[in-house]
Amino acid sequence: MISSEGIIATDITRKFAAAAATLAPGELVKDGHFTLFESVGALEIMDPKMDSGCLAPGESLDEEYDVARPLLPSEVLGIIDQLLCLEMAWHLGYPLSQTLLTNVYIEAILMPAPATIDEADFIRNRKDGAPRDPMFAVLRAYCLGLLKSCWYVCDRIKFEHYYEEEDFVTNTYHRSLLDNIDRDLIRDELMTARSILHNIRRTISEEMAQALSFRLELRTAFLRAIELSDLRSNPESLSLPWSQMKAVWEPISKSHRLGTPVPEAFSTKIQRKLASTMPPRPIVHLSFEETYEHFRKLFADGIDVLKVLNYSDSQSLLNFVLTFQAQKPQPLVYIRTLLQTFLFKDMIILGHLSIRHVIDDDLAIVVLPCSRLLDPSNDDIEAPYDPRFAMAHQMELFRQRAAQSYLDIFRALCQNRCRVRRTLYHAIQDWETVQMDAMAIDRLLQVQLEENPIVYKPSFFVIEEDAPDPAYCLPLSSWALLYKLRLMEWIVQLGFELETYQPDELAGMYWYLGHLAKTRGQLVERIKAFTLHRRANHRPPLTQTMEAQYDRSLAFLRAMMLDSVATWEFARVLSCIYTVLLRLKLIVPPPRPYSTDALRYEIRMKPFLSITMPELPTFEEFTHGTTQPECSIAALLESASGAIGSARKSFDVLGKLSEQDAFTVDTHERWLRGTKNCFKSIIAASIAISTLSDATKGGVEGEEGLGLGLEVVVPKPEKGYHEWWIVPKITRKR
Amino acid sequence: MEDTRTSLKEARDVAREEAAEYLSSLLNKNLRVTTTDSRMFWGAFKCTDPESNLVLQHTYEYRHPSMQKQAEGSAAAAAASAGATLTSTPGSAVANQTFKMDMTSRYLGLVVVPGEHIVKIELEEFVSQMKKGPQYRSPTEL
Repeated sequence: MISSEGIIATDITRKFAAAAATLAPGELVKDGHFTLFESVGALEIMDPKMDSGCLAPGESLDEEYDVARPLLPSEVLGIIDQLLCLEMAWHLGYPLSQTLLTNVYIEAILMPAPATIDEADFIRNRKDGAPRDPMFAVLRAYCLGLLKSCWYVCDRIKFEHYYEEEDFVTNTYHRSLLDNIDRDLIRDELMTARSILHNIRRTISEEMAQALSFRLELRTAFLRAIELSDLRSNPESLSLPWSQMKAVWEPISKSHRLGTPVPEAFSTKIQRKLASTMPPRPIVHLSFEETYEHFRKLFADGIDVLKVLNYSDSQSLLNFVLTFQAQKPQPLVYIRTLLQTFLFKDMIILGHLSIRHVIDDDLAIVVLPCSRLLDPSNDDIEAPYDPRFAMAHQMELFRQRAAQSYLDIFRALCQNRCRVRRTLYHAIQDWETVQMDAMAIDRLLQVQLEENPIVYKPSFFVIEEDAPDPAYCLPLSSWALLYKLRLMEWIVQLGFELETYQPDELAGMYWYLGHLAKTRGQLVERIKAFTLHRRANHRPPLTQTMEAQYDRSLAFLRAMMLDSVATWEFARVLSCIYTVLLRLKLIVPPPRPYSTDALRYEIRMKPFLSITMPELPTFEEFTHGTTQPECSIAALLESASGAIGSARKSFDVLGKLSEQDAFTVDTHERWLRGTKNCFKSIIAASIAISTLSDATKGGVEGEEGLGLGLEVVVPKPEKGYHEWWIVPKITRKR
Repeated sequence: MEDTRTSLKEARDVAREEAAEYLSSLLNKNLRVTTTDSRMFWGAFKCTDPESNLVLQHTYEYRHPSMQKQAEGSAAAAAASAGATLTSTPGSAVANQTFKMDMTSRYLGLVVVPGEHIVKIELEEFVSQMKKGPQYRSPTEL
């Protein structure tokens, strides 16, 4: 009998059925706002595939498993290890309903929701004062530590930017993961359980007691790591619990064999008690070996990510985030959200820096070393006719305009790789307008600075032969353009990494990448010319600190130049190689009956279409640049081997830079590994060139490559040395 | 003969119209639908068809506690009444004592309950809003 105040329920069963029966076949009575399309998503009750609450004939709703049955130490260990596998599966993106919430002990702890630490037990009706069974105490303490850390993990992830369908499921199905129970109380339970283990170590064997104790230690350390991460300072002390986890992880995996699995303690039946619109789903089974690897990586990344807190300069910070996120496999979403927290929480960068501090640092490195524009004392000027007053005002306008876009770069890089690429699409549109607005502010500021235009002639990358007009420095818009160009290059390079392009498109896309990198090189050269000019004409003479600032900026421009030259040359090499392979018909485009090259170019380049600087090459320019019809195969290979020499040299010099000069403080090792991998890709490419040169020496001009006896494999991005450089494997057929 | 047939047809049409009107009047009202496995679904009525397949929105599932849990509850109630005589009704035998248990519930969202599995449909109405006037009566009741 169900009752509630003020509501009366009338039985309308017969009336309803009779009324419905008069409807013509196929006729519906439905709410006007309800569409049949919506009903597709409805759960069909009593259908065992859809309805998690549907019981098989004779099946009981309750778990038949008795949580009060005595457990052997080896069984407790087996259950804990199974929980470790499920916890990792959850971290990897499976929902709790298919992982931890399939465990009967956890279910018994969480339902009904415990109000106190004592109620948080799978055995609720224990007599007052009666001691817990030692094995129950261990399993319970482990589960409490596990659930509490899951609550923190979930809470952290929810707070930051992530993608529910792609990264992580935060749904807890109306179960509270012990959020009302104090962390310290749980830590006490873990401590108690460890001392219990110590006391009974003779009875259950030293080895077993140790193995269980390590697992409890892992939980304690995890809670501690989470607690400390809120501090966002002093990475050395923050990394202690992570190191502790790393240290106990080895003995934990070694003692896995001591456990006896208890599969009956896990059941999907529990799903029918969860608030869920999902049909029943199976338990996720991750092997202990996989779990081991993922946790090992988690702890290593946990230690690594803390280094971001050692702020040295804005460019090292960017390189840190770039290289940290480029790791394969990518760090788990929890680590990625931790990184976001470190970076942005409460709009305080890394826990102690203002956004202004970071942006000004970046402007000083990239375009404005020792500039009056960045002098903080400008803020104190109150006379409106003083140029410094205007400078302070305009710079503040600029910061307000650019800060969000600048921070969004970091935020975007913290997402999963596919999302990084998608987010950058939007970011470049944004930077397009930042650049426009910066241009307007530049024009106002050059008046305040009484800047004289200089005749600037590009030397390295020659664009035009005419004597150029005198030009202004335009620092802020140059800064914005540099970011926009880098983002555009990353979009194309992520396209290689994510296998967005077909093998026959690689020639064109590498050509475009080269085009962008060349543009960046020209920009860096321009910035450098103005920086040198300002340095030479500095009045009064430079102090030592100022010299150091100029040196730092020039070091950055040098590294940036090396990087753009290396990218430009290497992209050109690969474009030539793929063009040769296309000509030799060693790479054959798939049949595309409903598409033309021009249409595909339009689609491919859509994100870049609205960018006015650099303007997207026309389809004709693109085709001409890619196919290079005026060059013979021999000429193409020759120009490739010329370019490869200079790419090689650039990567080589780049790899020898100190971490200060490469702007990779605290991430140098990882960055260097990436650079070395690029270098290896170059070696692979030069082998490809020489194989092609040898095979075409006889002069098979323009005709079928099949006769050359060559075999070409375009490797998957992860199979090459570097995901951004897809070097074809060319071998002679036996 | 001809007349009776037409009038029968007319009567059928009228009945059909009234039936559709009745069903439409239920739309968006809260129904409690009990299924063959004695679960109860409580949600807003959105759609039905000749087989009485029901679409309910914002549905909660209610389930009676299992027999075992009921036995436990009954035992607990008995124990409680044995201890605290104040609450037990004088003269009531412990054996047929009534006790309250909460049904377990969970949120499911949008569901379809197939007509063949329905054993009972109840309409929820606020006492204050119940209509006094003539209501639709199904042909079988007439």
